[in-house]
Amino acid sequence: MLGNIFSSLFKLTFLLTVLRMATPILFASIAAFVTASAGVANIAVESIMTFGALAGILGSYATGNVWAGVAIGLLVGAGTALLIAFFSMRLGADPILIGIALNTFADSLSIFFLYLATGEKGTSASLLTPTLGSVDIPGIKSIPVLGEILSGQYILTYVCWILLIVLFIMIYKTPLGMRMRACGLNADAARTAGINVGRIRVFSLVLSGLFAALGGMYLSLNSIHLFSKGMVSGLGWMGIAANGIANGSYGMLLLSALLFAVFRGISIVFSQSAVFPVDLVRAVPYFAVFFFLTISSIISYLRIKSGKVEEQ
Amino acid sequence: MAETILKLDKVTKVYPNGTVANRDINMEFEKGEIHSIVGENGAGKSTLMKMIFGIEAPSSGTITYKGQETHFASSMDAIKAGIGMVHQHFMLIPSFSIVDNIILGDEPKNGIFIDRKEATRKTQEVSDKYNFELDVTAKVSTLSVAKRQKVEILKTLYREAELIILDEPTSVLTPQETEQLFVQLRSLQAQGHTILFISHKLEEVKKISDRISVIRNGVSKGTYRNDELTMEQLTNLIIGRDLENDLDEFKTNEDFHNEKALIVENLSMERNGKPALNNVSFAVKKGEILGIAGVEGNGQVDLVRCITGLEKIKYDGKIIINNTDTTGMNIKARRDLKMAYIPEDRMGDGTAGKLPISDNIISTYYTRDDVNSGMFMDGKAIDRISNDLIETFAVKTSSNKTAVGSLSGGNIQKVVVAREYNTKPTFMIAEQPTHGIDIGSAEFVHHKLIEMRNAGAGILLVSADLNEVIDLSDRVIVMFDGEIAGYFPDANDINESNLGMYMLGAKKQTAEEIGGALND
Amino acid sequence: MTDRSEKKLNLSITNPTVFEAVKMIIALLIAFVIMFGVLCLISDNPVHAFVTILTGPFAKRRYFGAVIESFIPYAFAGLAAGILFKSGAFNLGAEGIYIISGVAVAAVACTAVTTSHFLHPILCILAAAAVGGVLMIIPSFLKAKFGTNEMVVSLMLNSIYSGIAMHLIRKYLLTKTTSTIGSRDYLKTAKIGYIFEPLRISPCLVLLIVCTIILYLVMYKTRLGYQIRLAGANPKFAEYSGISAFKLSIATAAIAGVLAGTGSACQLLTQSSFYQPDKTAVGIGFSGMLLAMLGRNNPIGIVIASFLIKYLEQGANVLYFSDTSVPSEITAIIEGIVILLISSQYFLRGLREKKLLQEGLGKNAR
Repeated sequence: MLGNIFSSLFKLTFLLTVLRMATPILFASIAAFVTASAGVANIAVESIMTFGALAGILGSYATGNVWAGVAIGLLVGAGTALLIAFFSMRLGADPILIGIALNTFADSLSIFFLYLATGEKGTSASLLTPTLGSVDIPGIKSIPVLGEILSGQYILTYVCWILLIVLFIMIYKTPLGMRMRACGLNADAARTAGINVGRIRVFSLVLSGLFAALGGMYLSLNSIHLFSKGMVSGLGWMGIAANGIANGSYGMLLLSALLFAVFRGISIVFSQSAVFPVDLVRAVPYFAVFFFLTISSIISYLRIKSGKVEEQ
Repeated sequence: MAETILKLDKVTKVYPNGTVANRDINMEFEKGEIHSIVGENGAGKSTLMKMIFGIEAPSSGTITYKGQETHFASSMDAIKAGIGMVHQHFMLIPSFSIVDNIILGDEPKNGIFIDRKEATRKTQEVSDKYNFELDVTAKVSTLSVAKRQKVEILKTLYREAELIILDEPTSVLTPQETEQLFVQLRSLQAQGHTILFISHKLEEVKKISDRISVIRNGVSKGTYRNDELTMEQLTNLIIGRDLENDLDEFKTNEDFHNEKALIVENLSMERNGKPALNNVSFAVKKGEILGIAGVEGNGQVDLVRCITGLEKIKYDGKIIINNTDTTGMNIKARRDLKMAYIPEDRMGDGTAGKLPISDNIISTYYTRDDVNSGMFMDGKAIDRISNDLIETFAVKTSSNKTAVGSLSGGNIQKVVVAREYNTKPTFMIAEQPTHGIDIGSAEFVHHKLIEMRNAGAGILLVSADLNEVIDLSDRVIVMFDGEIAGYFPDANDINESNLGMYMLGAKKQTAEEIGGALND
Repeated sequence: MTDRSEKKLNLSITNPTVFEAVKMIIALLIAFVIMFGVLCLISDNPVHAFVTILTGPFAKRRYFGAVIESFIPYAFAGLAAGILFKSGAFNLGAEGIYIISGVAVAAVACTAVTTSHFLHPILCILAAAAVGGVLMIIPSFLKAKFGTNEMVVSLMLNSIYSGIAMHLIRKYLLTKTTSTIGSRDYLKTAKIGYIFEPLRISPCLVLLIVCTIILYLVMYKTRLGYQIRLAGANPKFAEYSGISAFKLSIATAAIAGVLAGTGSACQLLTQSSFYQPDKTAVGIGFSGMLLAMLGRNNPIGIVIASFLIKYLEQGANVLYFSDTSVPSEITAIIEGIVILLISSQYFLRGLREKKLLQEGLGKNAR
């Protein structure tokens, strides 16, 4: 029985599952990464994903057009980010407290708007909304093995992959990206070079809001055109954890995100087989994040202690 | 053929809080010369440079660069006009390559991308032109401090600076690296650049400069040709003492049997591979004030850190407080040995600005009996004690519940001193105790320190203010470059310009003479 | 010189306490105005709605009783979050503690450990407090020792505890009902009854008041509380004064965990007769953080804030009976706006600075 389960992990279907699970985590990861690069922390990623998910559903229902819904979701994401920027940079509130408050409100506020729209508090099932669906790429589809992976994914997954590349190029190959990284690494040096650090940080927050909103919409708009309370279930935090482990490295960021996705996949496979207790299996991805984050910090601690790395 | 490239005409800078940083400064700089500006910390050199470089604007007076009056809105304007500045604390991003650091803010583009090829080519070109011997593709984190400084200079040359200001460039270099820097500067001079060299290290200033300008207390003390000025004359200009303020009349001289409050034996410490403290030995007796004179940045901060145990620093040698070897002890344990500490950073280390005076003024002895009654802290006693201290120390406030952060600098410092005074210590470190506070509060602090000295405490006074050191101390040692450069067994017998020479690295005593600091 | 002869009460806005109170009042006013605006948009009778939210719970005794009964676990969560925030920590683990100590409560409540109606609930509470006190330490320990991000760790633990709790209930304490996972019924001896039935006042209210007073005394009258407040205000200063940051974070977390566990026990033993992990305890820990922010991390302020918020929520519930166009979540809007405004340092700062300047010039103080 156990053998069966483990062998199923190496089948293609598992890989496809992982790639599907990875998309929202990747969105959350780059949302956390982009602000961290500029030297601000956005811990409200989870809440922006929730708001984005709901806004996408309500928007596409209201306009009858799913892409308009996406646009509205993006607006909500950017708007929330600007709210954070305003209260933390202009009015001097602690950005961590704002983040905690937003994350806690995300559920009640979204239920509030959900209720206004549908008269229900649990899910938006009563709304018949158009969906984004998936895309088949004709040429690639026929390639053995790779074809199944690369073709037939949801549209937002392709958007995610494209964004990963575009973001990489922007951060490491363009002047804007270099200035952003300068703001995060040594804001004083950036200022003496004539860079407007505040403006760049606000910009990074807006990008973060957009990415997070997309992550949320992935959950609600793909084929299960549905918003339900608590549907983000920690994916935003996985993104923040991935950024924490990555410690500035884009490669590590993606790897960590994929790692968490693998554990989500594992937990789904295990839960389907009913060999392991279903509740514990559900907790596996969270345990994975906890585990790797702790290990990563212990390693940093030991390295600093042994004098190999200078304390920042 | 002396063409003036930069002229300062009655330049004055007054800050909003009333501080006069520069007053009526007249200076002229010739094109192609290496011109040093010397003076103590707080004399006004940095403010002057900030005005030249566009970071601040003069309150009155004019600055004329290449024949045109300057109205720089920011340093970007100064850079565009051809003025470059190498800051004392490098503005570099270690994880970036040299190229990236150089082009930041002014990146060559190829469409929307950074044209790295062009950037590398241009940067290497400038580097080679001036013989910097740098591989511009290397990451700054791999470079030595001296090489990093070269990158800073390269930044100014990349932007085609004609006038280059260097702010205390040798403070981070070894003697050999300093020589290399001087070679570099002469080469730049040969290629037509003008160098403004700011420093407090007299020996170097005498080596490299064509002309020297002196600033003291915000005022210019004149400009001189290097070959017309002796070392002694120079020192006198820089550190001439203005006020004769003898606090001796307040000192009593009870006999404390030569007991030592603090003994430092062979203290050595490294920072980033470079020695920060080298074989420092001295003792502080009970009932005396030992002053450490020296320009900021010569190891005093590291010395204090090692003694207080505030940060877990690795050092060699012994520190003995009140006859107990403190090896391995943290600051709590050392405080238990009746050590008190007035820190340099009163807002960061010395107080919690958000909390009221009453909370701040007991923080280092909050477990003591007189502040507690059984399980609880005794609010009434704390009230009484804090009000008494507020009155004794003349802290200007309407209530002991005022948040410390809202007090003026002098009053904040009085709260700190009051607290440490009330721990009734045997040994006290006072680090820059009157830095940045008004004269009235400063005098008050001085009197309190003498009071503690008279009662038997051993006080280690670390100060960049020479007046303060000589007025307060019984004995004085001078620190330069992480070592004790001189020891003076009687503060009353000190010739200021002589002391100044030690402070500025121009003189150094023999090991035997210095040994008196420990053994007297 | 200290003007000790002038002992009059400084009621101007330059007094920091007065300033905070003014900020709170103005923030509340702004929030109420905005809420009224929202009501105008979604309800046909906004005035009635507004008034009901504010006065609804007084309509019937059992409405008010519901407020009293339900606010207690939230107040405990608020106290737990408050002490953590006050010390400068961001350990968000109260949520998970509520869930997992609930298992401890259920375990003890469902077993016949004693026949005493007096002892049984006490043992449940002690079990919950112990579990909470120990588990809450984990994120704070990792942060103090290795610098691990305690926020993410505590949040992950919340989900992990949720899974563990469900599993334990399913495996050991399961009841026959199949619609949701729930434990067996508590034994009668474990349930906590009412002291004053009409207003639903139970001994837990007394317990809350006692805990609040103790916590207040600890925070403002003992050395431990002093250390916590110092560390929260300026960690470098605390270290300079010789306070051990490590021991302090552990102690703070333990206290918070005990409070959370106690709150969980209070909730389970008064409001239900069996334990459903994914229904009963969800969201309380997070609400506690909001309450801590509203109460400015002061134990008494937190309890008052908890009561007020629950009061408003009940008002919204009452409203829902007569006007279903307004969901009870509308009170979240008030909470959100007030929190955002009072956390902003610069909110109304301009006003205060003007006053300070006037006073300074007038008194020639500095």
